[in-house]
Amino acid sequence: MEIKIALAGNPNSGKTTLFNDLTGSRQYVGNWPGVTVEKKEGKLKGQEYKDVIIQDLPGIYSLSPYTLEEVVSRTYLVTEKPDAIINIVDGTNIERNLYLTTQLLELNIPIIIALNMMDLVRKNGDKVDTKALSEALGCEVVELSALKSEGTEALVKKAIAIANANKLATANEVISGEAKEAIKKIENIIKGEVDEKFLHWNAIKAFERDEKVMESINLSESKKAEVEKVISECEKALDDDSESIITNERYNYITEVTDKAVIKGRKKGELSASDKIDRVVTNRILGLPIFAGIMFFIYAIAMGGWSISIGTAATDFTNDVIFGEWVPGLFDVILGALHVEEGTVLYGLIQDGIVAGVGAVIGFVPQMLVLFLLLSILEDIGYMARVAFVMDRIFRQFGLSGKAFIPCLVATGCGVPGVMASRTIENERDRRMSIMTTTFMPCGAKLPIIGLIAGAIFGGSPWIAASAYFIGIGSIVLSGIILKKFKAFAGIPAPFVMELPAYHVPSFVGVLRATWERGWSFIKRAGSVIVVSSVIIWFLTAFGNVNGHFGLVDELFEDEAVVTDEYINELSAKMDVPTTEVNSMDASLLASVGDAASIVFKPLGFGNWKPTVATVTGLVAKEEVVGTFGVLYSYDDMDGAEELGEEGEQIWDRVRADYTPIAAFSFMLFNLLCAPCFAAIGAIKREMNNRKWTWAAIGYMTGWAYVISLITYNLGGMIAGEVAFGFGTIVAIVLVVTLLYLIFRKGYQPKGNEGLEMAVKINA
Amino acid sequence: MPLSMADIDEIVVIKRISGSDEIKQHLAELGFVVGEEIHIVSKNGGNMIVKVKDSRIALDKGLANRIFI
Ligand SMILES: Nc1nc2c(ncn2[C@@H]2O[C@H](COP(=O)(O)OP(=O)(O)OP(=O)(O)O)[C@@H](O)[C@H]2O)c(=O)[nH]1
Ligand SMILES: [Mg+2]
Repeated sequence: MEIKIALAGNPNSGKTTLFNDLTGSRQYVGNWPGVTVEKKEGKLKGQEYKDVIIQDLPGIYSLSPYTLEEVVSRTYLVTEKPDAIINIVDGTNIERNLYLTTQLLELNIPIIIALNMMDLVRKNGDKVDTKALSEALGCEVVELSALKSEGTEALVKKAIAIANANKLATANEVISGEAKEAIKKIENIIKGEVDEKFLHWNAIKAFERDEKVMESINLSESKKAEVEKVISECEKALDDDSESIITNERYNYITEVTDKAVIKGRKKGELSASDKIDRVVTNRILGLPIFAGIMFFIYAIAMGGWSISIGTAATDFTNDVIFGEWVPGLFDVILGALHVEEGTVLYGLIQDGIVAGVGAVIGFVPQMLVLFLLLSILEDIGYMARVAFVMDRIFRQFGLSGKAFIPCLVATGCGVPGVMASRTIENERDRRMSIMTTTFMPCGAKLPIIGLIAGAIFGGSPWIAASAYFIGIGSIVLSGIILKKFKAFAGIPAPFVMELPAYHVPSFVGVLRATWERGWSFIKRAGSVIVVSSVIIWFLTAFGNVNGHFGLVDELFEDEAVVTDEYINELSAKMDVPTTEVNSMDASLLASVGDAASIVFKPLGFGNWKPTVATVTGLVAKEEVVGTFGVLYSYDDMDGAEELGEEGEQIWDRVRADYTPIAAFSFMLFNLLCAPCFAAIGAIKREMNNRKWTWAAIGYMTGWAYVISLITYNLGGMIAGEVAFGFGTIVAIVLVVTLLYLIFRKGYQPKGNEGLEMAVKINA
Repeated sequence: MPLSMADIDEIVVIKRISGSDEIKQHLAELGFVVGEEIHIVSKNGGNMIVKVKDSRIALDKGLANRIFI
């Protein structure tokens, strides 16, 4: 028979670390509260445990959800009812963690307590008497260090045993005195309306006036009134509201338990290393510059052109040597051996389609791995929660919440978890806004775009990558300010309160694993989606209509009778390429479609068929923008075939020849800011759970990208002397003025409680 | 007086938490209950980082103003 064991506990207590250890999965672990936002099942490792399912859940402080991801855990524990619960308790903070435990004990589900972080407990010199703890709580308590996988074996064995035996915790009286009496009375009233097993729990929840539970027990009006009478009498007697009464009872009980079982090694009021670090990094003057410095440094190492920029060095090697010489050379040999001649369709498909397209993308893997490595370190150190706090002080002045920074930081790796991380935002309107703007951040897959433009046009300047990052953040902040003035988003964000985890030295293996996990999913995409897209792109560029003759454009171009000088001139004018650079691809199907659509991008400076096609293919996956460039710029010149082996550089040279710096920058901006890839759009759709809002989000992002690129190209180009004054300049000025107006206008003033709706209330 | 007026490194005791919304309950779950000791770790412009029941919690000024000590 299948056994389901749920991992429940406070945020950041190590549930996912344990889950990964038990099931061999690679779920997202990070050192801040709210990393896991969705439940996740896994099979317990080991042949003898075939039927045991482990369920990882988002962290919760109690069974009354405060943010959206906590609803998932509550629903699972309360309505789906696992066969046993492993309650992960952070051993360095037992008192607060036991608050949830007292609630879990009432669920009447077999439960075992895993006292995690025992390595830290020992280091701090705290003493925990697990035996006394176990006696006081009426259930088993085992010591654990999920990170070092100490004690996991014993824990699992015991958990399975209690699940099989359906061994409940021995009854203990958490609630005492008048409250206890009141709950007894409620039990009597609702008896028969609920499952006998869960009578006590339902009675407590009814006493707390929990809406969900009251709905589920569905009492008659007269019984409801009776319950209400019991509650208000007790409230009057104790001069407090019912929820606070229960809370106090729980804490009183916990204090009794911990007085017996826990001895602290450190005196109250002593500062730990984390506290000392916090005094510096959350300092009101230094906080922001430190954050900006860290992010600049990360991008400089991953993508800059300096001696410390290991990412760039490795990417150059991959592009120039591996994909420039080795891989095409290797394929030449293989294809030669198979008698696939150069100039045939198959040869073109493989070398100019797949190798060129995938190669252009894979070349950026080293840079990406370095970026992912640094981000994983950042996430594991414990700095993320501090960024939210530092930012909150600044952004609250504009009516924005600092908590929205966590989704943004997560989106620096990938937009999909970034969008999902917005579940931790309390206010519904702010949550929506965060979903709409989070993918402005340059995610890992946008990095090849930045790398291509920075490398080909700007000589590898680290400022391009750093500017991409700060333009992402800037777009989020400005959008926030603008949107907050509209009625649909108006309202004060929920107050900021967040637990800050202790800093720790990242675990070497953990960080490498997280880096590899992200890098690998990227490589897998390059081997699947990007291959398919490159093949499609290549086919669409291989066929076309040359001067009235349809067929393989390459072959038709050989025919002097078809390709007249006149035709070349005509094509060059139509496609906007110099006559010397015109090649067979410009006559392809893709070119004519792209050319028709390119008019849209004319005002942004890249109204040409190649960047148009690249931008559209970016919807499949952002790195495909570069993959498409790889295919489209990999052609033989009119003046004879170039020798193979300079492929990588050749592509960069051609890109450089095709774009002015400002047009290239505008192209990069548009692709960074416009609608994200399909995967992220899917995540937006799921989190919005509403068609109208999904389209609003996509429309907003694309509109914003268009406006920003247009302004940058026209005004930036004029300043740089690359673009002449014209109609575009006027439009750009009008747009700047409009933006300034939207930023500085007074905006809609919400009345009363308008705009304070909690996401939990609306979506649960 | 409100918590926001307390000085850095002080250890204070919560007397009352005003308001009665979800946030008050959430604060209680985090350990902010009447009678509990709070250690002020750092302060900047009214926002503060405090220690309560061995956990380190960041609060904005608005919330710090609602906790009386
Ligand atoms: N020292 C130590 N650190 C641990 C241990 N278990 C987990 N951690 C660290 O605690 C942090 C949080 O771990 P997670 O597994 O993400 O915690 P979680 O409970 O899943 O957190 P949420 O998903 O946010 O609820 C990570 O930085 C882990 O490396 C442990 O036994 N000892
Ligand atoms: Mg987790």
